[in-house]
Amino acid sequence: MSLLDVKNLSVRYEPKAHRPLDAVQDVSFSIEPGEFVGLIGESGSGKTTLGTALLRLLQRPGRISGGSITFDGTDITDLSEDELRDLRWRDISTVFQSSMNALNPVTRVEAQFRDVIEQHSNLRGHKVTERIKQLFDMVIIDHKFVSAFPHELSGGMRQRVNLALALALEPKFILLDEPTTGLDVVVQHSILENVRRLQAEQGFAVLFISHDIGTVLDLSDRILVMYAGRIVEEQPAGALLAQPLHPYSKGLLGSYGDPRAETVRITYVPGRPPDLSLPIVGCSFAPRCPERVARCAEVDPPIVPLGAGRAACIVAEAQQREGGSGEHGEPRRTFEGPQFVKTAEESTQALRGDVVLSVENVSKVFTRRRGLAVQRTEAVTDASFVLRKGEVTALVGQSGSGKSTLARMITGVDSPTSGRIVFHGPKGDQEVSGFRGRSLRDYRSDVQMVFQDPYSSINPAKRIGYILARPLANYHGLRGDALRERVKELLETVALTPSERFVNRYGYELSGGQRQRVVIAKALAVEPEIIVADEPISSLDVSIRAEILELLNDLVQSKDVGILYITHDLLSARMLADEVIVLNNGKVVEQGQTLKVIRDPSDAYTRKLIDAIPNPF
Amino acid sequence: MTTTPLNDVMAEGDPAQTSNVEQVPDVERPDRWWQVVWSSRKARIGIVIVAAYVLVAVFAPLVAPHDPLDSSFTPLAGASGENWLGTTTDGRDIASQLIYGSRISLLVGLFGGLLATMIALVIGMISGYAEGTIVDDILSFITNVALVIPTLPLIITLVAYSEVRGVWLIVGVIAITSWAGGARAKRAQIITLRNRDFVTAAKFSGEGTMRIVFREIMPNMSSLVAAAFVGSATGAIGAEAGLAVLGLGDSQSVSWGTMLYQANAQGAITQGLWLWVFVPGLVLAILMTGMAFINFGVDLLSNPHLREDA
Amino acid sequence: MKYFARKFGFFVATLWAVVTLNFLIPRLQPGDPAEIIVKKLAGKDAALDPAQVRAMRAMLGAPDGSLLQQYATYLGELVRGNFGLSYSYYPFKVTEVIGQAFWWTVVLVTVTQVLSFAVGIVLGAYAAWRRNSRFDSVVTLGSTFLGTLQPFWIALLLLYVFGYTLGWFPTSGGYEESTPGLNFAFIQEAVSHSFLPALALLIVTPIGWILGMRNTMIMNLGEDYIRLAKAKGLPDRVVALKYAARNALLPSVTGFALALGGVLGGAILVEQAFDYPGLGRLMGEAVENKDYPLLQTLMLLTTVGVLIANLVADLLYGVLDPRARRAES
Repeated sequence: MSLLDVKNLSVRYEPKAHRPLDAVQDVSFSIEPGEFVGLIGESGSGKTTLGTALLRLLQRPGRISGGSITFDGTDITDLSEDELRDLRWRDISTVFQSSMNALNPVTRVEAQFRDVIEQHSNLRGHKVTERIKQLFDMVIIDHKFVSAFPHELSGGMRQRVNLALALALEPKFILLDEPTTGLDVVVQHSILENVRRLQAEQGFAVLFISHDIGTVLDLSDRILVMYAGRIVEEQPAGALLAQPLHPYSKGLLGSYGDPRAETVRITYVPGRPPDLSLPIVGCSFAPRCPERVARCAEVDPPIVPLGAGRAACIVAEAQQREGGSGEHGEPRRTFEGPQFVKTAEESTQALRGDVVLSVENVSKVFTRRRGLAVQRTEAVTDASFVLRKGEVTALVGQSGSGKSTLARMITGVDSPTSGRIVFHGPKGDQEVSGFRGRSLRDYRSDVQMVFQDPYSSINPAKRIGYILARPLANYHGLRGDALRERVKELLETVALTPSERFVNRYGYELSGGQRQRVVIAKALAVEPEIIVADEPISSLDVSIRAEILELLNDLVQSKDVGILYITHDLLSARMLADEVIVLNNGKVVEQGQTLKVIRDPSDAYTRKLIDAIPNPF
Repeated sequence: MTTTPLNDVMAEGDPAQTSNVEQVPDVERPDRWWQVVWSSRKARIGIVIVAAYVLVAVFAPLVAPHDPLDSSFTPLAGASGENWLGTTTDGRDIASQLIYGSRISLLVGLFGGLLATMIALVIGMISGYAEGTIVDDILSFITNVALVIPTLPLIITLVAYSEVRGVWLIVGVIAITSWAGGARAKRAQIITLRNRDFVTAAKFSGEGTMRIVFREIMPNMSSLVAAAFVGSATGAIGAEAGLAVLGLGDSQSVSWGTMLYQANAQGAITQGLWLWVFVPGLVLAILMTGMAFINFGVDLLSNPHLREDA
Repeated sequence: MKYFARKFGFFVATLWAVVTLNFLIPRLQPGDPAEIIVKKLAGKDAALDPAQVRAMRAMLGAPDGSLLQQYATYLGELVRGNFGLSYSYYPFKVTEVIGQAFWWTVVLVTVTQVLSFAVGIVLGAYAAWRRNSRFDSVVTLGSTFLGTLQPFWIALLLLYVFGYTLGWFPTSGGYEESTPGLNFAFIQEAVSHSFLPALALLIVTPIGWILGMRNTMIMNLGEDYIRLAKAKGLPDRVVALKYAARNALLPSVTGFALALGGVLGGAILVEQAFDYPGLGRLMGEAVENKDYPLLQTLMLLTTVGVLIANLVADLLYGVLDPRARRAES
């Protein structure tokens, strides 16, 4: 008997003011005791809703609208809260997405372990404390943090504590919902290793929800792929990697690559997922699918046994049936959509443009007074590098490595404590820290920024046309028709065509990828010498990242602009950058030609970063 | 909008990708503000109530049967066809006083609320945008001081020194004593908005500080400003009534507060003239409830958490 | 520790600002209120104490001396506790007049404030927990309506119903024949006289707490730590009290002191209606008689009262919420 058995589960949101939406549709799967199952899907796929439904934590206006969930032989679909309570945490526990808020901010960590342990077990008093310490040992956290408040822990520690909490009562099943999203790669890596080790030791079953197919493949025995509220493919990890069935799975796999390879190809899935509140005819992936046939637009593909598991794709099914000889041809392993290719040759053949900005022995010390004591934090130590025209320089490091501080200094928001940053602009050499008021404003017509989160970098109260027009009006004095024409041109440059459709839109009407294009267009508006791109793809869905990278790559080629590309991700650095600078604790630990650094890292930290890349390939 | 028109699709990316069709889903488009406000039943009731009061106030001369200051009626008359709610001790028509009284309340509410909101807006916005600087320290300090000073005693003290007590004095005094709470809320709001990337993006567009504050940030807090305005207006109406009840109202005109003051001073209670006391307080409470109901709707704009109620 | 020092520093600075404001208000007006009062007092039979005249001028402005000098004299008189003579209760000192009324209001306001806080928090929390239930809508709508009622009006209606019509409670004053002090007769009389004023205040004041608590708690109920608490299988009671309500209570603690100012305002109006011998009635009298020294001192006193309550609330908040201490340091 399976530990968890989900049959035809559907979840429906029925908000009062809007159309109802089926976030999860007819989902069936099971999990065996001790099994590690991955559930992969992108934003809006319904994966978190599914997880919440399994925990029976759905809140209005969401509800389970059909199907059943059977846990350990008990149907829990309609179980009353009182009956559920006995099951909760003792049998089923969870770690939520790594938000700040899963722990009650005003009570000590210990109390949050104690209440649940005392609720469900016979342990009391000192024995509870002992158990908490034991749990802290499992997740490798010092005992002194038992009595800490949540805000006194770092993000990674907080997630470890949440993991320890989930293990408190030795449950049979743990739901991990993106437990490490937003944490540093190295921290993520160590937490997930910890999970896997504990799972092997203690034998609980896991449903691991993630958008990151790399980590899912690395950890899971079996994988479910979710798209538009449905499971479109289910296969053992190895089979999924070797022989993916559904084109969407192929697309997800295609968005990864080995940065060390001679030629790296990453594909992207153009378009966006369907609106689940509107009726969908045929396969929901069909509009984005390169393998689709006419019938895809008519038939809603059922999920059927295929390959080493199941898949919902009529093309894949036909290919299997015909044995590759029929009209549908051979099954293909790769995503047949657009791709962004970078060869080793291209990587080594970078132009040596003129230096536009040089960072010379820059250090930045933040001082904070705490009572009488002055606390000094050295964010950047003695960093030196240059940015060149028509060249992309990647600044790689974890959060807290000083990369954002460097970006702030380069854009004139902060000034260095020592050393200097010199801009070699049209007006000759100028020191950036000397810019104030008017001169800073002028400098920004030469240095522009692309932000990490396209959702917060576009003013929700303004139309796209207005946003693009402002820098043109301010810096180039454009007005009237000339201004309108230029705005349209910009939109065309970033492939938002036809531009009339976008000018009067608000940011929230666009997809993440479209928004990021708008932000890039705005940065290009004033024809800057330098663009600082701060993690421009990290908040986008994996399947469309390559699209933005390709756009940036094209811009460098055509506009002769120098880009400082800030990232924690070596793969995207390989795809885009000519030079890479690795930053650790504010120090430049390695610097050189991208491919060389990635293939043959000389610094221990760089090697650690490369090892942390999930590499199932 | 319940369906996406077929022509409302946008092609994105490489033109060669003909399949590459994107919808612009209308679910992601937030409702227009009036739809959100109107979706709340309480807000609908509130809007109807306030609209009725406004109509009565505007057309008072047409609605009221008599001149409110005409003292030619039989004093202490009961309710009749001539005097719907009876007359006062000095022979004035209570119903007409009530109808004309709506003018003062609405006037004080509108202008007192407007002025207080404007002061709060300017101080809160500047202080929040300049967070951490000396400008913010000074403005925050002033705000906090204004916040701890009890409003009614301060208003009373200020008005007591003044010989002429016109309605504009009352509006002014109420406004300068009641902006602090709003200023603090706006400061907090702007601090969260200020750190959003779009503000930095605006700096990179070459925008000046004032333009960033009032053109980029302010449009994002219009619901908060609206709620603050309705709140301040309600408070101003209440404060005017409180002042008038203490005999500090505008002596030249009739308001519900002065009616209560008169009723109490003339011993209406002891003489059993309960209508004289009951009605002005009730109409006042209904107006203020109507305004509070409107704010239930406005709150839905800034706090989508509450939208599933209503 | 820094948090507490900061809060204390703010208290001192605000105190100074309030004292200065109190100095400036009478001087903003054209004319010289002190002169008027001195003349009026001189018209009465008794001889004027020159020291008192000086104090009066320090409080309300004098025809001579620069503003700075006046300010110095004003502060000097304040430190000596010299607030001048009351015009309406001549020849009593303002401080003596206030002393008579002080405890009446303090007891009335404290009792109603604490009661309404408790009632409001409990109702608000329960309404949020049972969100959208009948209980919730009755409480939300009811308190919205009650909150808009004028305290003065409620007082008059209570008087009409329970004082005149039913005759259950006395209609004015604070006590009848007993001698004020800690004797049973007096306390009994004081309680029966205070009952209606307290009730009038209690009808209006809990609304802020109810709606505030309800909204904060509804927001908190959407937080991850509440979902986690439910996932942990803790009983509803524990989730509601230990997780949701406890956290939602925190903003109300700082609101407690600020709301005191509102209750004081309400008390002024209610006392007026009941002829209750407290500070509010005194303020009404001061306004009516243009007794500026009394008015100014009452104003200062109420503000300082709120200020002290505010300090206490801030310190308490610092103890209750570990994040506050960190955020400010």
